[in-house]
Amino acid sequence: MNAFPWLSLLTALPVVGAGVVLVAGARSDRAARFLSVGFAVGALCIALLLWHGFDVNVGGMQLVEQHAWVPALHIQYHLGIDGLGLSMLLLSAIVTLISLGASWKIEDRVPLYFALILLVEACLFGAFTALNFIHWFTFWELCLIPAFFLIKIWGGPRRTPAATQFLVYTMAGSVAMLLSFLAMYLAANTFEFEELATIAQSGRLLPSLAASSSWMHLTPEHLGLVIFAGVFLGFAVKVPVIPFHTWLPDTYAEAPTGTTILLTGAMSKMGLYGFLRILVPIFAPQMQSVLTPLLWMAVATVVLGSLSAMAQTDLKRIFAYSSINHLGYCLLGIFAAVRYAGSDAQLLTQRAAALSGTMLQMFNHGITAATIFWFVAILETRSGGARELSDFGGLRRNAPVLAGMMGIALFSSLGLPGLNGFISEFLIFKGAFPLATWATALCTIGLLITAVFILNVIQRVFSGPLQERHSNFLDLSGKEQMLLAPAIALMFLLGLDPQILLSHLNATVLQLTNTIKF
Amino acid sequence: MSTNLLALLPELVLTITGVLVMVLEPVIPAGKSRKPLGWLAILGSLLSGLAAFYQLQIVNAQGTLTAFYSTIQIDPFSIFFHLLIAAVVLVTLLGSLDYFESPITHAGEYFALVLFGAVGMMFMTSSVELLMVFIGLEISSISTYILAGFRKGRATASESSIKYFLLGSFATAFFLYGVALIYGATGSTSIGPIAAGLAITRTPTMAILAVAMVLIGLGFKVSAAPFHVWTPDVYQGAPAPVVGLMSTAPKAAAFAVLLRFLFNGTPMLHGHWILLIEILAVASMCLGNLGALKQHDVKRLLAYSSIAHAGYLLVAFTGTHQNAVAGACFYTATYAAMNVGAFLVLSQLSGFSERIRSIEDFTGLALKRPGMSALLGFFLLSLIGIPFTGGFFGKFYVFSGALQNGHVWLGIVGLANSGVACFYYLRLLAAIYSRPTSDSVAYIPVRKVTAPAAVALAATALATLGLGILPNKLVHLVERATPTTTAAVAVQPTQQ
Amino acid sequence: MTPLNLFLLLSALLFSIGLAGALTRRNAILVLIGIELMLNAANINLIAFWRFGPNPEALTGVMFAIFSISVAAAEAAVGLAIILAVYRHNKTTNLNQIDTLKG
Repeated sequence: MNAFPWLSLLTALPVVGAGVVLVAGARSDRAARFLSVGFAVGALCIALLLWHGFDVNVGGMQLVEQHAWVPALHIQYHLGIDGLGLSMLLLSAIVTLISLGASWKIEDRVPLYFALILLVEACLFGAFTALNFIHWFTFWELCLIPAFFLIKIWGGPRRTPAATQFLVYTMAGSVAMLLSFLAMYLAANTFEFEELATIAQSGRLLPSLAASSSWMHLTPEHLGLVIFAGVFLGFAVKVPVIPFHTWLPDTYAEAPTGTTILLTGAMSKMGLYGFLRILVPIFAPQMQSVLTPLLWMAVATVVLGSLSAMAQTDLKRIFAYSSINHLGYCLLGIFAAVRYAGSDAQLLTQRAAALSGTMLQMFNHGITAATIFWFVAILETRSGGARELSDFGGLRRNAPVLAGMMGIALFSSLGLPGLNGFISEFLIFKGAFPLATWATALCTIGLLITAVFILNVIQRVFSGPLQERHSNFLDLSGKEQMLLAPAIALMFLLGLDPQILLSHLNATVLQLTNTIKF
Repeated sequence: MSTNLLALLPELVLTITGVLVMVLEPVIPAGKSRKPLGWLAILGSLLSGLAAFYQLQIVNAQGTLTAFYSTIQIDPFSIFFHLLIAAVVLVTLLGSLDYFESPITHAGEYFALVLFGAVGMMFMTSSVELLMVFIGLEISSISTYILAGFRKGRATASESSIKYFLLGSFATAFFLYGVALIYGATGSTSIGPIAAGLAITRTPTMAILAVAMVLIGLGFKVSAAPFHVWTPDVYQGAPAPVVGLMSTAPKAAAFAVLLRFLFNGTPMLHGHWILLIEILAVASMCLGNLGALKQHDVKRLLAYSSIAHAGYLLVAFTGTHQNAVAGACFYTATYAAMNVGAFLVLSQLSGFSERIRSIEDFTGLALKRPGMSALLGFFLLSLIGIPFTGGFFGKFYVFSGALQNGHVWLGIVGLANSGVACFYYLRLLAAIYSRPTSDSVAYIPVRKVTAPAAVALAATALATLGLGILPNKLVHLVERATPTTTAAVAVQPTQQ
Repeated sequence: MTPLNLFLLLSALLFSIGLAGALTRRNAILVLIGIELMLNAANINLIAFWRFGPNPEALTGVMFAIFSISVAAAEAAVGLAIILAVYRHNKTTNLNQIDTLKG
């Protein structure tokens, strides 16, 4: 299986798909919809095939493809996946399908819309498999373009400022990151993530940085922090970490819901992926030296995210902030894991728990948030575009199945045991508590508030008196139930048997755990 | 063929074609289409490109060629620029073949002037004697002064032309005065002897002043801030295909002169001129991008963008000699591809009459001309510097060169600027993909793009894309393009 | 003061006068005259440096001056033609009144 370029194929498939959809879909919107789903299913099949063929005992990269690209600048075409990359590929493939499903009712310029969704998918695959900075950065940046157009063309009334804000914020972060990587390139003469990590872990990065860019007479330690800050900014905007989140609520609310699904389900994971793939292996000492502010940021992301969600009345905004809140737990897990250096057995176990919880949470949040936004899209279409909490009420009477299924997704987001959200949050808290007690304790407030606002949503939408205009609100049709059922089933499956995912993540987590030595 | 003629082959081909076009012009009866002349000019530029390519083979085999008593030096550096200029001219001619709405009588002059201008630019890049540079500069400038006012019968055209002319000659005077001073300080006007003379000069202050004045003169030509004031007005009034040409080819030539003059002629004064270059670079990037933010006219917007891009290009000069040449050459090539492409799209959309001008006019363009919108969008993305476009690698190359040489601030300012630049390119892009369609878009014909223009557009788009995905070929070429000062140059023309 | 210095002083004065004229005058023709003064200042420099330089046998300076005079003449011809074209449209050569191009 190694000889065959599966990962390149996986990335190329949606690109080809986008072309086919544009050309063949020009005649009939129906054809465009079905073709794009066909290609997305194809990508999912490849991802599942990769899942099946993945060697769970290996912590390093598998299916590596490496070719010279621009030798003069040390740029390589370098692909490979480990457990983390694999789970992200699978997540992207699933979320894209959910996004396509939720976008079914788009009527305007259908082929273009579906082609752009497929392009986003291709960029996600590219970014989650690339192991060379420039190669990775290419996809990271490129991902913004189809997303920009999706928001700009099909978004809500305030789409133009939202799209511009989204792009400019992310670009600003990327620029800072690019500068940092250029500095590291000049010091280490490589753009390879793994080589940079090796150099950093052996303690050679800082001296050569100081030698190559003696900037403003900074000590090597401070220079390291500046470089770290640049890279951190890039990822922090993408996740987003409070206080770099201001672009998110507008963007999520204005984007067509199908696109919001992609943004929250998969693109936000790019930022966290960057934390795990780049920041932790390369910058663990720098992270440790500013850990207190970082932990405060995680706490702010969790607590303020959930508080803001509670204050919202627009369904999309509620779940936009809820997304921030849920990704905050991941940040907590990551930051807690780098708190203490050393490698005694107990520390390693705690760290491993926090990190596997984080990776699991990334996957779970992707599935859950995407599904919830799918339900929001359904509510939106049936109520003629209404999204305010006060627009709904008592829907349980007319649409019991919808209420039940959406309830399951919401409870998964809330972290109810037996559903997927619980196990990952539990693992993060279990691992992080001994490592960063105060921060973890503060984050539990977030759990509480999440429960409050989610129960509030359930109550306001499904209980109470039925509004007059919803008197003939339709329940989910059989077809819709069929489509939604796999997502709901996945939540139960991962909640009851998380080992399915963890088995593939274990080796990667172990390797990552061991790299935090400094 | 004697070596002399071989070294001048691309210029010769262009000159002969240009003269032929002028001679044949009166033969064609009034009212008849001038297109055959256009095809002749296209053939000429194609042949001159091939001639440059042939020179490359010769230079690869035999080493540097010289001509005109060693005032012309054909090395990979000059051949690179010859190829670039020939390509820009070829694409511009293809794109403007059907530009003139009716068979107007002076269309023949247009084709001839483009060719003559290219001759001047090519001379600038290959000469190592400031006299030849001056003549080349004047040939190219005079042609472009006239071309800028080519939309005859419109007040904006002659205004654009006169502004360009007055500020251009103003700059020429600075350049000439600088050359005179450098002659006084070193006793020569050839690149090699200037470098030698600087080592023993007794009037270093005069030399520094001279370099500053040459920089001012060429700064005008490349529209680097603070010498950029003419750019928006001239670009706004000139015909779109001409702007595409004059925002790239003459600038490339002027940058080539700067590279040779600064790195080969005055390396002794590196510490002095690097400061000036930094100031010019920062000013151009900041003023260009900030100026573009509040523009409504698309051509003005792209004019400010070209000022900013001149700034990015100047950043390349802060690298080591090899990095500077490689970075600047690469950036010039990518900038030429994307900018000529953008202006070609504009000229296709708004035609000779240029009815659609402002960003608002472009609202909803995508609904009417999806293909053209996608192309323009692609060029704009490349101007922003999105990966998979040439613009990304160009910026990357330039900034890594500057950082490598310790100019961290410049790198930070530059990258921050490219963030700011996002805003105004996106404003245009957002308008194109907005709804509802503006009334002005109704003026845009739904006609098919003619075959030559389609070829030109495809060529620029493919070049932009190719430089973004597989920049390797060009990187190889520019990495070994660093010009050397050969001993032969030291021979004075008058001593022969 | 050596003769060379006197010539340099003269040319510097001429250049400054030309520069001032080109920058302050609002009539296109007068601006053009200012620019011509600047060009000729450079020519004086070239010839002075040739005449009083260490190597008057090499005719570099005087050659340069001859070329620059002829090229400047060509430039002025084109310039006057452009000014004529402007005059035909605007019935004026005052640069302040030629300002239709704006952002």
